[in-house]
Amino acid sequence: MKLSPKSSTSSAQAGEVETSTLNKVRLATKDPFFWSNWIVVIAFILVVLVFGALKPHSFLTMYNLNNILVASSIPAIIVVGQTFAVATAGIDLSISSIMTFGAVVYGIAFTNGSSWWVAGIAGTIAGTLCGFLNGLIIAKRKISDFIVTLGMLSVAAGFALVISNGVPRQIVSNSLSNLAIGGFGGIPYLMVIAFVITVAAHFFLFNTRFGTHILATGGDPDAARSMGVNIDLVKIVVYSISGTLAGFAAMLTISRIGAAEPAANTSLLLNSVAAVVLGGVSLFGGRGTIFGPFVATLLLQALTNGLTVVGVAAYYQYVSIGLVVILSAALVRTK
Amino acid sequence: MKKNNRFLTIGISVVAAAALVLAGTTPSNAAGKKLSSIRIAVVIKGLDNPYFVSVKQGIIDTAKKLGVVANVQAAPGLNDDIGQANKLDALAGQNYDCYIVIPITSNNLSQGLGKVTKAGKPIINIDSPVDPASLKAAGGKITSFAGTDNTAAGKAGGVSMLKLIGSGKKIGLIAGLAGNVTSNARIAGFEAGAAGSTFVGPVNADWDTTKALDAANAMLVANPDIAAFFAANDQMAQGVAKAVAAAGKKIPVYGVDGLMDNLNLIKAGSVTASISQYPYVMGKMGVEACVVLAQGGKVPAWTITPYGVIDSSNVDAALKSGNQTPPGGYKDPYAPLIKK
Repeated sequence: MKLSPKSSTSSAQAGEVETSTLNKVRLATKDPFFWSNWIVVIAFILVVLVFGALKPHSFLTMYNLNNILVASSIPAIIVVGQTFAVATAGIDLSISSIMTFGAVVYGIAFTNGSSWWVAGIAGTIAGTLCGFLNGLIIAKRKISDFIVTLGMLSVAAGFALVISNGVPRQIVSNSLSNLAIGGFGGIPYLMVIAFVITVAAHFFLFNTRFGTHILATGGDPDAARSMGVNIDLVKIVVYSISGTLAGFAAMLTISRIGAAEPAANTSLLLNSVAAVVLGGVSLFGGRGTIFGPFVATLLLQALTNGLTVVGVAAYYQYVSIGLVVILSAALVRTK
Repeated sequence: MKKNNRFLTIGISVVAAAALVLAGTTPSNAAGKKLSSIRIAVVIKGLDNPYFVSVKQGIIDTAKKLGVVANVQAAPGLNDDIGQANKLDALAGQNYDCYIVIPITSNNLSQGLGKVTKAGKPIINIDSPVDPASLKAAGGKITSFAGTDNTAAGKAGGVSMLKLIGSGKKIGLIAGLAGNVTSNARIAGFEAGAAGSTFVGPVNADWDTTKALDAANAMLVANPDIAAFFAANDQMAQGVAKAVAAAGKKIPVYGVDGLMDNLNLIKAGSVTASISQYPYVMGKMGVEACVVLAQGGKVPAWTITPYGVIDSSNVDAALKSGNQTPPGGYKDPYAPLIKK
């Protein structure tokens, strides 16, 4: 409860204010949602502190923080799409191969003379189409999200191989590689882009009527339907967003590795699911945040980076990352 | 209660993370000429393939023998080209004397290597070459390359197989991932070495044992007169051997790499031969090249690492030695340049 303001400022009252604030904190920590929202931030700070203490001169340098931000940006964009899918109680297992498909479309457009950004639009639209198909089939045929996107995982990967003939295409463009190397006031462009997308997604989910419909669909689809929410439309839009972001992320990937590769990178998919759960989004839908998964992505990348900088042997890295995912998820878990 | 549990779990996770951190090494800013002060950073491909485990072993053993420090990092997962690039980025800003890399694709590490070169550090590229065009665009420079000639290795396999089955026969070809440079080179080399034969395929089995088994089954059904198989790596050759045995046939099966598993199968007779490459030697040469450079020496820009056909005639010797190095010895241009 709010404190009633009093005119006098005696020391006794100051003490009262203090205990009340403490009390508020105590109450807040008893709220399970407080933990699911903030644990990932605490974990992230802990990871930075631990590695910072171990290797202050290599982990906590501007150069290395820049590395973590660059490494986080593409997964952070992917995770936004995954968050939307999970918020409707769905899951998008096809994002990594949609990204591969988008990359291949990018490569074909670019090598046929499109400029780097026109090719980017082509790749993004390719992603949108895949996502739209996902949503359409899920909504109209009433098949589980899991099965449809699992199918798309294979179909998109297959089409990527078919249209590329399995051959990677080199993309040599200074403008594009500058996107990966350059920055804006010390923040890498890639992270600026990821952050803008994250903020826009937050606004969309929590400040628009459609965003409320998304959460309502995930919370209780029958209730949402009877309230007049167009659930089919919600599913189609959500998966289209996820596909679009995957297609767009394909361009950013090419900016980093300089080639359109027809092989799918499944680590991105696994990381996105881990980040969504760590970020406090309920896998049963209806409840979630956009910033939680964003911070979780930073956490996972900072962890991988820190373990590499400290020189932990590769085998132990798998173990430690898995442990952190499980332990944090155990903390985040609410009834 | 619940709250306490949470704090306990936080505590556990922090301790777990800290416990996994191995003893760090003290960086030295002086251009370390002393062996004990030389630090090498290594980024290789996924350790889910025994081939790269062998590269890693060569690096670790050689580093230990010479008394230098090597931080060996691997790509976090299969095809995780960005994850591998992140690892190199994380190491590129640190005070290492030299970097050894095996890129997943010919381009994915180029930007990170550009940073390494800009920091004035030498790069040794082993096994799979970095694409020169993308490297140049990123401002990177490879000081020395040590790897196999996959075309020559494939050709040696083709020549050896022709001796066994004679010319004019049908040979089934099993390739790795579609479009993969290494696979293409091995297959093309084999076709040149076994010229005069009729080839079925190549069918892509993605370096995978099970996929190779299925592919070989299908090929045998369609072409019962196949007289031999060539697979572009040992793991696929194992799958092919299973298919051949299941079909009740006794025809030669060749693989490439010289993995210990396969040598055991060669001894047992289910696989006929493997064109052995020596990943252990590549790792060893990488470390030696780095040490020479850190000591201020010069290294050759291009070294072809050894290869050789292992079959029933020499499999015992190879098994006995662990097949880390060729039975007949090999030329190592780096080792004599090291100042002890």
